[in-house]
Amino acid sequence: MEDDPRTDRTPRLVTPRRRLLAAGAATGAMAWLGPKLGWVAQAHAATPPAKPTGQIVIGFSQEPTVFQPLLPHIEVDEGVYFNLFSALWRVDATGALQPDLVAEIPTVANGGISADGTHWHLKLNPKAKWHDATPFTAADVAFNIALIQNPKFLAGRRAGIDLIEQVTVIGPHELRFRVKKPYAPLSAILSWTFLVPKHLLEKVADINKPEAFLAHPIGTGAFKWGERVPGDHITLTAADSYHGVGPYVEKLIFKYIPDMTVLYTQFQTGTVDYVGIQGISPDRYAAARKLPDRIVAPAPQPFIENIAFNLGKPVFQDRAVREALYLAMDKKSIIQEIYYGLPTETESFLPSQSWAFNPKLPPHRFDPAKARALLDAAGWKPGAGGVREKNGVRLEFTNSTTAGNHTREQAQQLLQQNWQDIGARMSIKNLPPAVMWGDYWTYSKFDTTMVGLDFMVGPDPDATQYFGSGGIPAKGGGGDNTTQYVNPEVDKLLAQGAAEVDPAKRRPAYLRMQELTRRDLPYLPIFQYAMVQGVKKGLVGFTPNVNVQENSWNANSWYWAS
Amino acid sequence: MSAAEALAPAPPAARPRSRAWRRFRRHRLALFGAAAIVVMVIAAAAGPWLIPFDPLHIDLRHRFQPPAGGGHLFGTDQLGRDLLIRLLMAGRISLTIGFAAMTVSTAFGTVVGITAGYYGGALRIALMRFVDAVLCFPQIFLLLVLAAFIQPSIATLTLIIGATSWMEVARVVEGQVRSLRERDFILAAETLGASGRYVMFRELLPNAIGPIIVAATLTVARAILMEAYVSFLGYGIQPPMASWGNMLNNAQEYLASAPWLAIFPGAAITLAVASFNFVGDGLRDALDARLDLH
Amino acid sequence: MANFLLGRLVQSLVLLFIVSVIGFAVLHLAPGGPLAQFALTPGISHAELARMAHQMGLDQPLPVQYWAWLRRLLGGDWGHSYRDNQPVLAVILGRLPATLELMATAIVIAVLTGVWIGVMGAIRRYSIFDMLATIGAMIALSIPTFWFGLIVIYIFSVNLGWLPPGNRSTIGGGGGILDYLHHLIAPAIVLALVEVAVWSRYMRASMLDVINQDFIRTAHAKGLPARTVLWHHAMRNALLPMIALAGVEMPTLLGGALVTETVFTWPGMGRLLLDSLGYRDYPVVMGILMVSALLALLGNLAADLLAAVADPRIRLR
Repeated sequence: MEDDPRTDRTPRLVTPRRRLLAAGAATGAMAWLGPKLGWVAQAHAATPPAKPTGQIVIGFSQEPTVFQPLLPHIEVDEGVYFNLFSALWRVDATGALQPDLVAEIPTVANGGISADGTHWHLKLNPKAKWHDATPFTAADVAFNIALIQNPKFLAGRRAGIDLIEQVTVIGPHELRFRVKKPYAPLSAILSWTFLVPKHLLEKVADINKPEAFLAHPIGTGAFKWGERVPGDHITLTAADSYHGVGPYVEKLIFKYIPDMTVLYTQFQTGTVDYVGIQGISPDRYAAARKLPDRIVAPAPQPFIENIAFNLGKPVFQDRAVREALYLAMDKKSIIQEIYYGLPTETESFLPSQSWAFNPKLPPHRFDPAKARALLDAAGWKPGAGGVREKNGVRLEFTNSTTAGNHTREQAQQLLQQNWQDIGARMSIKNLPPAVMWGDYWTYSKFDTTMVGLDFMVGPDPDATQYFGSGGIPAKGGGGDNTTQYVNPEVDKLLAQGAAEVDPAKRRPAYLRMQELTRRDLPYLPIFQYAMVQGVKKGLVGFTPNVNVQENSWNANSWYWAS
Repeated sequence: MSAAEALAPAPPAARPRSRAWRRFRRHRLALFGAAAIVVMVIAAAAGPWLIPFDPLHIDLRHRFQPPAGGGHLFGTDQLGRDLLIRLLMAGRISLTIGFAAMTVSTAFGTVVGITAGYYGGALRIALMRFVDAVLCFPQIFLLLVLAAFIQPSIATLTLIIGATSWMEVARVVEGQVRSLRERDFILAAETLGASGRYVMFRELLPNAIGPIIVAATLTVARAILMEAYVSFLGYGIQPPMASWGNMLNNAQEYLASAPWLAIFPGAAITLAVASFNFVGDGLRDALDARLDLH
Repeated sequence: MANFLLGRLVQSLVLLFIVSVIGFAVLHLAPGGPLAQFALTPGISHAELARMAHQMGLDQPLPVQYWAWLRRLLGGDWGHSYRDNQPVLAVILGRLPATLELMATAIVIAVLTGVWIGVMGAIRRYSIFDMLATIGAMIALSIPTFWFGLIVIYIFSVNLGWLPPGNRSTIGGGGGILDYLHHLIAPAIVLALVEVAVWSRYMRASMLDVINQDFIRTAHAKGLPARTVLWHHAMRNALLPMIALAGVEMPTLLGGALVTETVFTWPGMGRLLLDSLGYRDYPVVMGILMVSALLALLGNLAADLLAAVADPRIRLR
């Protein structure tokens, strides 16, 4: 019933693309101009109301429950964070950093970052206030860094922040710190690090369970805490002290609707104004577009749908097997028929919008005859039941994913037929999320998995967690390398890419890395996701952003055209 | 030969049995139900041999063909497979699970209930507290947690569904038996020296048969529905195999665009469940010995 | 009577203990765990999850974890939810009103109409009414609830616009009593439909049993008015198995409305249990388990007591 919990999207830092959306991001209306042009901001006559008016209901198929943003959470929680809390800066729809709690983005040019990338100097926005009217200061920033570094605190994300040292508060709105070694993804990491108030959290008894704060969180966002009815909804109300644009609506309501069919129905009847997180199922796209007074269109996401191999299994250690399975995959049918042409075919693990994306990878061909020839040549001979085998290993395996994702189950069944045609027997073994993404996935107990993964660190293309040989949990590593992929050249490129700050110099390393993963095929890339988004007509300011976890990222500037 | 067997009466004479059959035949709904079940069983068993389509063959160029389109009597599904043959193949699985789970849970529940009700005392306390203990777990908890341990297959799903639905039968039977236990004819049989097993299965069981059959018919209804429910929760029969439950569940997205995908499996579930209920109802009347007195 | 109650109390405590051991064991031994939900969150790596598992005590032997849980429970501490960190008891009690509102409405509808239909069906056996009631009950029992709920929403909310498409009250609205009632109609009827079918079938079967028994025939033979025989003699006896049924239905109060709650976006106990199981929120699941076990025991006890009151031939043992 729950779709893949991993259908979120993530930031990317800089994009070489023209800044199509930049001008209108904050105040423009979004319009859907067709498949090639996408969502585009357009000038409009409506202006935001003088004071916050009305309410917007955002429907989520998962429930936000964690309101200390530094604790481990899931992507749906970030939909709330963007409006309740603030980070130092945020990544806009073009991939550019926009100041939030800082007065200006630190760069080498303005002296905010030293040329070698190790010394940072931040100037904060003096207008920023916590919702309880306490001013936001440099001491709060220092507190957050110390908290994340505190070994007793169960920080969800620590990478990057743990390199910060010598934090010096210079004035109420100014501070300096040093980074142990140049680490390119740090800006991206800080864009999703939402800050919490020092004055409320420094004295709590158990820093991992600040009960009072979790029940009534205080942030610096455009909306302040209203109420939460567990299992039902969260209401945020306009914060009049907000330091940025807006807010223009009085209430922002996050409504939890667990069933996707019901969520769609509530959008259809007008109870819900925007379908968040997993959006609208591709199967409903055609019907949804015909709804009166609704705007429905796809928006790209950074997730790459793929078949992940467990390279620890003997059958997948032969590259010829992986290559043959890729050749026998009817990718076009999956994308065009089962996903209605919404997603984009890809050969890479990076979204096409990333500055590190390699567009020149060898294109996939659907060629079962060649796949058979490849297996024949590699010594995989047809055995009992038409299943090939080599040295007693049968070309037989399971494929798993989160149970209940109906569209993906259709793709699985097509692949099953594709692969049967070349003498490979795949059986489907789908599991509920808590089982699928537990030890079964983490400790590489699967054969193959069909999964949509975001390989990046925020908007940064660093994929060390997924491809670094030191990150294999089944071998004691601390990363997410569950395919158990080991390639010394990839390790070297990943280290190079992370240590260099200038994107122009980092790019060659990532281009080469994509060639290597395309050749080695630890994952069979299928497509980059596009999620069908639906909003009620008249909702001004909605701006899909491939760089963030949830498209409610700029709800501070949303309003109703009157 | 044990005393119990010695005391057991000869097999029932033909007459009561034919009387029961006569009563059953008068029950029109039951006859309809029986006929529907026979037709469904034959269709599920033999039908697939007669249909010139492969239930697993995917043909994406012919997705969502409406009924009677392109030679497909019931149309095609979301992957272009013939819906009729999938419905029949699904029938094999759903009917097997429904019937087997009903048998398992009714037999087990009846034995527990009748034993507890007849012997009473410490045995009753132990058995009924066991029933209570299992009943203390919400059914959804048992279903989800037990299912996490197993690989979904017809046998494991039958056992899981059976394991979560026998307690109600046990309680109803126990209540009935405990009340009958004090009646004159039971006391008379015991005075005459009838064995426990004789009294339980020859005296108490026939007199408690009404509630057992009602409970059993409702259980088969639930078992088939629960198979759909388990599919809905993600532990059901895995694709590409079809069951009525997973076909109905997978049709949710197409309620407006391709309603036949939902209507046919929905109708199949309703027909099957209702038929079992009708038959159970007819059997109840037919087997009720006391009706002979009228 | 006092002995009976004391015995029951001891039995109940033993039972609760057994339920807690079995529940704790199968829940924790089942594959999957509470940290699985974070496994694919961008930026959260396995190293951080392993640290969390250690800090939460999830890497300790099961008996140690159980003992820690039991000791806290005996001290009155039900633990905190892994998901929102609120006290378990508060989490459970917070969901109770929504569930009670829905269940109470549905059960009142179901028992009243179910008993009436059952009795009428039994005394006018094979009449048109009986036939229609039977067919209706069978069909009601044969439609998957999630399906029926969706159809109700499609017809009455999407097409006709008469009823809201789920939710307990208007989102962001003031929530007057009429608003609540308006939202209650569809889910209560959907939930009641199956219960009406169950109750009417059981009632009909039970009534038929009673009608054919000697003492009823005797009563008729004595020339008592048919109405008196029906309501005074037959009903009283026919309701006996219904009391057992009510006892059995008690724990379903907690988890039974699950599907209806999902389809109508009703924030009740059923959803809480399903979500908590889905995220392996062990403290909340264990809390629900213990509360529902307690309710089940009370339900059973009440059923036994009522049965004894209704039928003096049953001795309490």
